[in-house]
Amino acid sequence: MKLLVFAACVLGTVGAYLVTRKIFLRYKYPLLNPVFLSTLVIIAALKASGVTLADYQPAKEVMTFLLGPATVALALPLYNNRGVLKKHSLPVFAGVVAGCLSTIAAVLIAGRVAGLARGVLLSLGPKSVTVPIAVEISRLAGGEPTLTAAFVVATGMIGSILGPMLLSGLKVNNPVARGLALGTVSHGQGTAVALLEGETAGAMGGVAMAIAAVFTALIAPYYLPLFLP
Amino acid sequence: MAMIEQFLKIAWQTALLWLVYRCGAYLVAVLHLALPGNVAGMLLMFALLASGIVKPVLIDAGAGFLLKHFAFFFIPISVGLMAFGPLMRQSGLTLLAILVVSAAVGVLVTGVSVQVLHGRSSR
Repeated sequence: MKLLVFAACVLGTVGAYLVTRKIFLRYKYPLLNPVFLSTLVIIAALKASGVTLADYQPAKEVMTFLLGPATVALALPLYNNRGVLKKHSLPVFAGVVAGCLSTIAAVLIAGRVAGLARGVLLSLGPKSVTVPIAVEISRLAGGEPTLTAAFVVATGMIGSILGPMLLSGLKVNNPVARGLALGTVSHGQGTAVALLEGETAGAMGGVAMAIAAVFTALIAPYYLPLFLP
Repeated sequence: MAMIEQFLKIAWQTALLWLVYRCGAYLVAVLHLALPGNVAGMLLMFALLASGIVKPVLIDAGAGFLLKHFAFFFIPISVGLMAFGPLMRQSGLTLLAILVVSAAVGVLVTGVSVQVLHGRSSR
């Protein structure tokens, strides 16, 4: 029975991905983001069939096993685009750093306006960086790591849908700028969308994700308290 | 035949990328770096490529396959949001609004500043 649920979870997830990927590549509309659509479909299917998140866990472990090597693989487009990086190192660094500082300030200020508790604010602070780092930053600052992980995933989804729309609306069509913006705000999920836009944008997403992770970890202990009650 | 060959190539190149990932994770643990293992592995792989120790052809099929389907890995992770149903029902809209505002600010600041600065440094 367990094996059957496991197989159904893997096949269902892979199937949802393949179908939504086809739909996205055909229409290229940000709201049709394959991660967003697949997640909706899978959650609905789990709810309808009574399969719990704990039952889905073994399938998740297996399916995310290659995320580590996939992130390492980002080194290749980065290497192929090293000329861009070398020539434009100032805009790249300045853009990512400015994006990190502003998105953290915005989330904390908006959170305070909404009257959120200090613990929730601390959990929101690192939401733009990749999960393993965000969770550590949150824990060290006194936030709630599980809550942070959820905020990171939600931000990944929001940025990868809203980001491309906003960038196109503002006529930001330079792939370097688009990749960096998506990677800075939405880490791996933003990078995934950038990769669908093209190799240069994808490589820049990977660069932004790495810089944002290191920079945010370094400044968090000093920067977050500035916006807290 | 060509398909099996391609599959084997992707498989062994993925194993190689996995090895570099484990090395990255190991370095982070030993040196107590403020980095996740996968990002350390990416920087290590970049160093290997830049120094010429690893030639791009040694990983291009595996890397191409993994990056083509990079989005896939975030689906099972996002399904985990299901656990936050009660919190979402209680204050989901407020949290959503906050996350949307801050994502928009970050995308705008990075996107516009890079496009402007990049345009300038290209000239």
